[in-house]
Amino acid sequence: MSAETAGPETLGSLSSEPEQQDPNSQKAKEISGKSPLRIALGRLSRDKIAVVCAIVVLFFIICAVFAGTISKLFGVSLETGLASQYVDGLNNGLPKPTMGPPNGPFTWEHPMGVAPRTGEDNLAYWLHGCRISLMIATVATVVASIVGVIVGLLAGFLGGTVDKVLSFFIDMFLTIPFLLAALTLAPILNDRFALSDNYATIQKFSLICVLAMFGWMGTARLIRGEVLALREREFVQAARVMGMPTSRVLFKELLPNLAAPIIISVSLMLPSFVALEAGLAFLGIGVTDGVSWGQTILKAATPTYFREYPQYLWQPLLGIVALVLSLNLLGDAVRDALDPKTRR
Amino acid sequence: MTQDPNARAEIEPTEVGANAAETGERQLRQPDADHDVTNDHELLPEDLDFATLVEHGHTASELDPDAPAVLTVDNLKMYFPVRSSGLVRRTIGHVQAVDGISFEVPKGGSLGLVGESGCGKSTTGRLITRLYKPTGGSMMFEGNDLAKLSNKEMKPLRRDVQMIFQDPYTSLNPRHTVGTIVGAPLEVHKIVPKDKVLPRVQELLEIVGLNPEHYNRYPNEFSGGQRQRIGIARALTLNPKVLVADEPVSALDVSIQAQVVNLLQDIQSEFDVAFLFIAHDLAIVRHFCPEIAVMYLGKIVEIGDRETIYGKPHHPYTQALLSAVPDVKQAAVGGRRERIRLEGDVPSPINPPSGCRFRTRCQFAQEICAKVEPPLLQIGKRHKVACHFAGELGAHPATPVTTQLLGVDDQGSPVPGATPTNTQLTIPGYEKTWYDLTTKQTTGA
Repeated sequence: MSAETAGPETLGSLSSEPEQQDPNSQKAKEISGKSPLRIALGRLSRDKIAVVCAIVVLFFIICAVFAGTISKLFGVSLETGLASQYVDGLNNGLPKPTMGPPNGPFTWEHPMGVAPRTGEDNLAYWLHGCRISLMIATVATVVASIVGVIVGLLAGFLGGTVDKVLSFFIDMFLTIPFLLAALTLAPILNDRFALSDNYATIQKFSLICVLAMFGWMGTARLIRGEVLALREREFVQAARVMGMPTSRVLFKELLPNLAAPIIISVSLMLPSFVALEAGLAFLGIGVTDGVSWGQTILKAATPTYFREYPQYLWQPLLGIVALVLSLNLLGDAVRDALDPKTRR
Repeated sequence: MTQDPNARAEIEPTEVGANAAETGERQLRQPDADHDVTNDHELLPEDLDFATLVEHGHTASELDPDAPAVLTVDNLKMYFPVRSSGLVRRTIGHVQAVDGISFEVPKGGSLGLVGESGCGKSTTGRLITRLYKPTGGSMMFEGNDLAKLSNKEMKPLRRDVQMIFQDPYTSLNPRHTVGTIVGAPLEVHKIVPKDKVLPRVQELLEIVGLNPEHYNRYPNEFSGGQRQRIGIARALTLNPKVLVADEPVSALDVSIQAQVVNLLQDIQSEFDVAFLFIAHDLAIVRHFCPEIAVMYLGKIVEIGDRETIYGKPHHPYTQALLSAVPDVKQAAVGGRRERIRLEGDVPSPINPPSGCRFRTRCQFAQEICAKVEPPLLQIGKRHKVACHFAGELGAHPATPVTTQLLGVDDQGSPVPGATPTNTQLTIPGYEKTWYDLTTKQTTGA
């Protein structure tokens, strides 16, 4: 610290005339502190694995957001004309040699080939599958995190009966087997909305609900534990001494301190939901009426196709593995960056 | 004003030690708006402004015997329930953390609260700031009983009763800037418009001796002493009338303790804040508080002004507490002072000893101590003690001094036909007349 600042610190002098200081002046900016999150961000940018993973995740996000534009750029679309134009019905429905691999050379008309039997363009389906996958996972993560954080905050801070009731619900939802519940819910929802006009939207919506409903408990438990520890810290008591309302204590005092666990739980929830979405689609209870990586895998996972046309299975599989892996590694790196105790 | 801390150390005879009880007249004057501090040394001594006074050191705070009480605590009780384990959690007992204490905090003065760990000092502080709701008793503050108010009714009063916390490392939110922390009370109570918060925050930082430009830094960028100053600034934001200082310096380095205690003294004289100063450092309490209450196991055992408590304590516990303080002078002359060692631990506050709570560790304890609880008896102008054998060190009476008052014999059994002559009621303040231990008569000033 400079000699200038040593003066008032050691003196304890009293003056009723404060120096006016413009908060936007250059001097104020120079001495403004770094928040713990900014320090973590700086650390993250020095982590090579984190940077690579972030680039991969960014690539998938761009693919998802601009799926339509990229498809147009390559001149492919979800719409397929007559399937017989693309596939050879006599050869197990595999693509014709002019459509690229496996029977012909690479063609820019269909950079990733076409699907067997239906002749759908693989690139367009891959891009839109990425969009659906990321959208469902993101929305479900956001919903589950918000529910989890609020339940955890309330249970941890209020304690007593509220804590007991909320903890009971957390435990109850944890005991319900996820797959069984999802498998039960799917036919009910299908039956209920099968004749609806926007069946595809409802299906996605219900999938988000199912994922969020069984995903919030981990966050809630994590947050509850953190709040239990934070609640006894003196700054919370100081907030109460100054008469701060409970809602403000929760969201202005406690929530900023929970940024690290929330970011970590989000970064781990996101990849697990991506994988779950694909898994459910494969089981036929996720997105069945539309485009999805899981649906593509389901279609591709036959011995004939895998023997004759393995690229068809690898494409969505690679997408899922790359996305989930990089999201997980990124989440790990974020956790390391946020934890002041790790030094690498 | 010189900026070199080493140069300053020579001209500032700071005395936090116990021997700084010399008197010093302090004249305080608000510095002028365009006041130039560098010219201070050329001013006449009569014209001392605050900064110069600070440089001339801090003397021990003086007692103003006529100051009206700003906070009156009467028979305050806090019992924490102890619940059984298992499905049905019945209450199986109570931790009697604070059991019927009464005291007054004078306006602009300070009352020290000392005692060993777990005796209920901090609980008392938290009761006054209403972090806990008391089980019983009253805390009168400006005509309001803080003990009975609901949280909603309490909110406007919280402006006047603030708290300084012990640990500067946990009492500041690590995710907020100093400006947010110090300005939060203003926003909560909506006292000043939003654009006026920053000037006020900078003013407060200046008052506590921090660089006002540091308002946008985070607490982790400050040292322990600086953090405690931030905590003090936050407590001052609302211009409180009572400040509960819960061991404000015990987490700090000794050299920093002096600075913070001096700062608290400056604040007290500048803003006329009353302090309830909770501490276990007897030297600091002696320096800061003209009036001291000694607590043991949830009760006040002795309360009085500084000279009485430190000069001629009458309660065996106070004597033991004081004898545990290392004395530099004794070490210098090579003499060794008799230490009173307390045997054993503090008894459990769930099931405190009958009669006098200190009897299990008291060398003077007799049968009466187990049978009858000694009343907090006023035995001097500003001196109350709760002991059957109250007396100066080495001059404890052989027979209980309270027998007549309580109508019991020396063993503590009620004497048939005897009527208790105790006319003293346990009141928070002091009465005009008191019970003289030598003559065993009620006398007055």
